Amino acid sequence: MVEPKKCVIDASNLVKIYQNGSEELKVLDDVSIKVYDGDFMAVLGPSGSGKSTLMNILGCLDIPTTGEYYLDGLNVLTATENELAEIRNRKIGFIFQKFNLLPRLTALQNVMLPLLYRGMDEGEAEALARGKLTLLGLGERLGHRPNELSGGQQQRVAIARAIVGNPELLLADEPTGNLDSKSSEDAMRIFQELNEQGNTIVIITHDVEVADQVKKLVYIRDGKLYENN
Amino acid sequence: MRLKQLLKLIFTNITQNKVRTFLTTLGVIVGTATIFLVVAIGQGGEAQVNEQYSKLNVGTIIVMPAQRGRVADPLTKKDAELFLASANIAQAFPLLRGNGTINYNNYSASATFMAVEPEFQTSNNLTAELGRNIEEEDENKKNRVAMVGAELANTLTDGNASEIVGQNISISGRRFEVIGIYNRVGDSGSGQSYDDAAFVPYSVGEKYLLGTRANPTINVQATGLDTVQAAIADIQSSLDENHRAGGADQFRIMDAGSRLAAAQESARSMSMLLLAVAVVVLIVSGIGIMNVMFVTVKERTKEIGTLKAIGAKKQEILNQFLIEAVIISLVGGIIGVIVGFITVPILRYFELAAIASVSGVLLGLTFSVVTGVFFGFYPAWKAADLSPLEALRYE
Repeated sequence: MVEPKKCVIDASNLVKIYQNGSEELKVLDDVSIKVYDGDFMAVLGPSGSGKSTLMNILGCLDIPTTGEYYLDGLNVLTATENELAEIRNRKIGFIFQKFNLLPRLTALQNVMLPLLYRGMDEGEAEALARGKLTLLGLGERLGHRPNELSGGQQQRVAIARAIVGNPELLLADEPTGNLDSKSSEDAMRIFQELNEQGNTIVIITHDVEVADQVKKLVYIRDGKLYENN
Repeated sequence: MRLKQLLKLIFTNITQNKVRTFLTTLGVIVGTATIFLVVAIGQGGEAQVNEQYSKLNVGTIIVMPAQRGRVADPLTKKDAELFLASANIAQAFPLLRGNGTINYNNYSASATFMAVEPEFQTSNNLTAELGRNIEEEDENKKNRVAMVGAELANTLTDGNASEIVGQNISISGRRFEVIGIYNRVGDSGSGQSYDDAAFVPYSVGEKYLLGTRANPTINVQATGLDTVQAAIADIQSSLDENHRAGGADQFRIMDAGSRLAAAQESARSMSMLLLAVAVVVLIVSGIGIMNVMFVTVKERTKEIGTLKAIGAKKQEILNQFLIEAVIISLVGGIIGVIVGFITVPILRYFELAAIASVSGVLLGLTFSVVTGVFFGFYPAWKAADLSPLEALRYE
């Protein structure tokens, strides 16, 4: 008998309604999604499908209008603001389309930041950050600021920042959206390697090529989630 | 986040954003320096007033005719003697004042001369720097002697003041022997300096210099500060009794204390006016700071969103911006105070009384931190209050 895998994301019946004047806009319509430890999943959908809203809810940046959401067994919807900050810090690694690196900090400082917000000692944080950046081939670029790095390099810094704290879940929003094809391939290879090392990854994308390279694919259209196209 | 790392992060933000830091700091510097200088100028003005009046005994009361020149019913030496009957009055002596040409050798000066009783010298802190004072004997024997103020002595001798003692000078064509030179006393408070005047015994001045035009004022010294008002009342009743024609109404009675108070009051209201100007300057520079902060708030709001996404708590973000605002405004404030200290000697060069003071430093720094924090922190506080999603999406 195989031991059941740990459920990292267990969200059910998520509904998100935006109030636009008197008009109600249902962006998510009864979405249920389960992501297990070690999954490598893509949520594929066109723009306006509600995929960004889903990503924001899964990343604890936004709350659903109704529904239930457990992240690594924690009830996200009853958490306080500070608890949510703690969850984002320890359980989730974000990778943004526009990288969202802090422009005045060096690559190393950017990667150290989540660890410092955790209260980790500076020396320890620096060693970990240096290790991750070196692993991603940026060992020579530690002291560079984002504007001194190429798009691909910036994305790798962002990935290093996301994984440095060993989160339960890597959440990537259009990670190849701002990259050329070569850098996109590199980024996807990195995601595959990370997944092989045991990281759970969810990628939100509209890029079919990206979707082809994941283990599990779900589709989102008009706020509804489908297992197959 | 630990404080040390927070400070490092803030330091990086401040030093890596030189233009913004410079513009923000500039506003604080200008505001603080203005406040500091305003306080310095205000205190300088007050000190000037105090110094002007320091030679003036606040118990002094001056009785003078309400009209200048020749009057029908002038004050007399007898009035002074009658005033002394009051228990509230310690001293009363008449005083004559006139203007004329004073000649010594080839030098001549147009100056004030005064005919005074010997007590005048002590009550005005006048002592002979060279030679001797006017004495009771000079008054009684009508000796034709004169004392010269320090400045006048210099003018008449072209700088060799000491040579004039023992020599003759002429005042309005009358000859007097100079018996001494007074010490320098500065402004007497009546807007005129004794240093520029010549002095003769009262009886001599009355007889030889002014004659029938004599129209003396009487200097009265109350027994104490608290008896000044009572003394004034006694003077009034004495005048009413002895000058039937118009009574006390034809004379003006002034006391030095209330004149000092009035001058101090006007100096203080000048300070308040300047302070109001400084506050306006500070508000304007505060708005400048806020402008700079709002210009960069778009960039910073996205940063705040990112920080929240990677796990920063609202309080940590608030701390970061608060400390940053305090540092910038404190540094700006300190530079502003230094600029103020440098400017004070320049103001003095242009003969504007200004005194650097601790209260100026404290007021300047307080205002700089308050405005810097208020105007610098407010935009960030608004940003930190956004949900992480709103902050990330901010365009």
